[in-house]
Amino acid sequence: MTTIALVGQPNCGKSTLFNQIAGYKSLAANFPGATVTYTKGTTYIDNELVEVVDLPGTYSLSWYDDAEKETVKALFSMDIDVIVNIIDASMLIRSIELTLELMALEKPMIVALNMMDEAKKKGIQIDTKKLEEIIGVKIVPIIAKKGKGIKELLASIQNAQKPKKRCVYQKEAEETIKNLSGCIAENVKDIKWPSKLVAIKAIEGFSECEEVVENSPCKDLLNIAKDKLNNGMTIINQRHALCMNIFEHSTKLTKPPKKSIESRIDDFLMHPFLGYVFMLAIFVAIFYGVFTGGSPIENFVISIFDTVDNYLAQLITNKLVFAIAKGAADGIGAAIGIALPYLLPFLFIISLLEDVGYLPRIAYLMDSTMHKMGIHGTSVIPFVAGYGCSVPAIMAIRILKSKKEKYISAFLASLVPCSARTTVIMGLVGYFLGWQYVIALYALNLFVIAVSGVILKKMLPGISPEMIIDIPPYRMPTVKTLLLKTWHKVKDFVYLAIPMLIVGSIVLTLISYYNLNPYINNIFKPVLTGFLGLPSALGVVLIFGILKKELTLIMLYQALGLSSISMLSSVMSPTQMLTFTIFVIFYIPCVATIAAINKEIGTKGGMLITVGTTALALILAFITKITAPLFI
Amino acid sequence: MKLVDAETEKVYRVVAIEGGCHSKDRLIKLGILPGVEIELKRKAPLRGPFMVSLNGSDIVVGRGIAAKIEVEELV
Ligand SMILES: Nc1nc2c(ncn2[C@@H]2O[C@H](COP(=O)(O)OP(=O)(O)O)[C@@H](O)[C@H]2O)c(=O)[nH]1
Repeated sequence: MTTIALVGQPNCGKSTLFNQIAGYKSLAANFPGATVTYTKGTTYIDNELVEVVDLPGTYSLSWYDDAEKETVKALFSMDIDVIVNIIDASMLIRSIELTLELMALEKPMIVALNMMDEAKKKGIQIDTKKLEEIIGVKIVPIIAKKGKGIKELLASIQNAQKPKKRCVYQKEAEETIKNLSGCIAENVKDIKWPSKLVAIKAIEGFSECEEVVENSPCKDLLNIAKDKLNNGMTIINQRHALCMNIFEHSTKLTKPPKKSIESRIDDFLMHPFLGYVFMLAIFVAIFYGVFTGGSPIENFVISIFDTVDNYLAQLITNKLVFAIAKGAADGIGAAIGIALPYLLPFLFIISLLEDVGYLPRIAYLMDSTMHKMGIHGTSVIPFVAGYGCSVPAIMAIRILKSKKEKYISAFLASLVPCSARTTVIMGLVGYFLGWQYVIALYALNLFVIAVSGVILKKMLPGISPEMIIDIPPYRMPTVKTLLLKTWHKVKDFVYLAIPMLIVGSIVLTLISYYNLNPYINNIFKPVLTGFLGLPSALGVVLIFGILKKELTLIMLYQALGLSSISMLSSVMSPTQMLTFTIFVIFYIPCVATIAAINKEIGTKGGMLITVGTTALALILAFITKITAPLFI
Repeated sequence: MKLVDAETEKVYRVVAIEGGCHSKDRLIKLGILPGVEIELKRKAPLRGPFMVSLNGSDIVVGRGIAAKIEVEELV
């Protein structure tokens, strides 16, 4: 089977094209680097089945972050028959840089010149025949969003040829490169890259290639080349000049660029004051909308699963089997009860903000604040997503660059109250103490996150490279891609969190089946009652919370032997409620989140975060116990 | 002078980029390299990042990176 790889820079419309040719299985995003793991699909070209691989966007073959690294690794480790290089016609100069690098791979290749509509709007007229002549690769103009030019593209994929030309530098540079690449070809055998590309990358100082050459007999030649070529700047400049040259020879500008609507919108949305007001308003609206709209749906889902439980009780007579079946049903119910009303709308809105192009602008606005916590504007996704569910939030840290940034973001994102914790805040503190306490809790939460960030920044070794992001133009996303992208994010939750929730529920029902509650409560009594002044019956509730946080509230009044939540105020004082809620907000993320953390930053990181957040929760709850009586 | 000291809505020519090879490589890939003209579009408040524009695309760079980009004003 023929394998086609889609390669392009972030935001070139790669996912949209993938959706057009290989069914709707990939995700489209407007946040640079959002397509992280690659997606495969199949399609027919003239009755022949071909495999299409959608690789994460990359600016170049020398990677900067993990997503780019995946692309480059995939390019060299997979059997790829044809490279389809998608380029954004409205940003030709910068796109051709990658095209020139890909040409060096000497594989059959096609250039899909996307966003022809946008280029036209900007007054950029590209003579594709001329461009094709200059670079020696077949060029097909397309408009991926509207499905234009796809047929022609597929037809040319079948006849794809190796590039007829190569990027050629000026004589002296070319000779220096040739010397080094000759040496590499002879002495470095176990590398899949063309030796000329290794030579160029090593001269330019791309550490991965540099290392390979420095550990070979070609080390001296590399130093000579670096000297001669001004540490690679000479070839970089020549290549850039070449790109400019290609651009000038193939393109005409029909309109003088004027201040676009875009930058007028930006003047408002990125305004040093109004920008923040607008951002805050958007988020308040989103939270308010999702949580007020979501709770009736959640209640509805719970009522359905109550019926299922009753039905199971009639059906299964064996008590142990019933306990397990009920646990499984409750787990599924809890997962749906969170996913459907809160997570789904939330992730849809995030996808919308992403595709419209607003998220990178938030990254710009928030960068200076986040910088003080050792992370950057790019971490906004984990944070915003964290209010929905911690699992997709943790998964979003994959696009971050340094290890330090990932650790800090994972720690902080797990402190963000997810929708399950929000139900505790609303149901307990909001119901009994009033909304001003709810706002205070959210403010406290942000404050603690900020302080933890500052401390972690100081404590953790390493540096976090600063943000360099491309701000895409505002674009109208298509509903189809938005839905797909939402699904892509919900999928993480479905595959990782739902099994955990089911197992968790079964464990919980088994605990009550074997009547282990008193033992568990006894274990935690010294801490809970002695240290935090809470009823000892809450021990089991907190254990439940580790397995499934959304059950905390229901468990709470059940464990205290109350018939409804409204009676809670007769057994728990306001101080105890506040202490308990604060503990719940900050302690151990749920099992599904821990699993996600382990996956993204390793088990050691998962342990550290689990222990760290619990310690934090204990301290904060203790402070609450002492200080709350002063003002309640 | 450095890009950090530049004024918004003015056009500058990049003279040199110093330091950290990784971020330098990314800047170059985005088209910010010695010789090109960039416009400083806006600065985020509270020592935030800088947004520059070149060839019709907008790029945001962290303040620390802006401190490593040497520019000269075009008149
Ligand atoms: N105007 C226009 N927009 C497009 C075209 N192709 C894709 N887009 C939009 O560009 C944005 C980014 O596309 P996406 O496929 O996510 O890019 P990726 O990051 O390369 O995967 C989305 O909002 C798309 O709807 C096109 O041909 N013309």
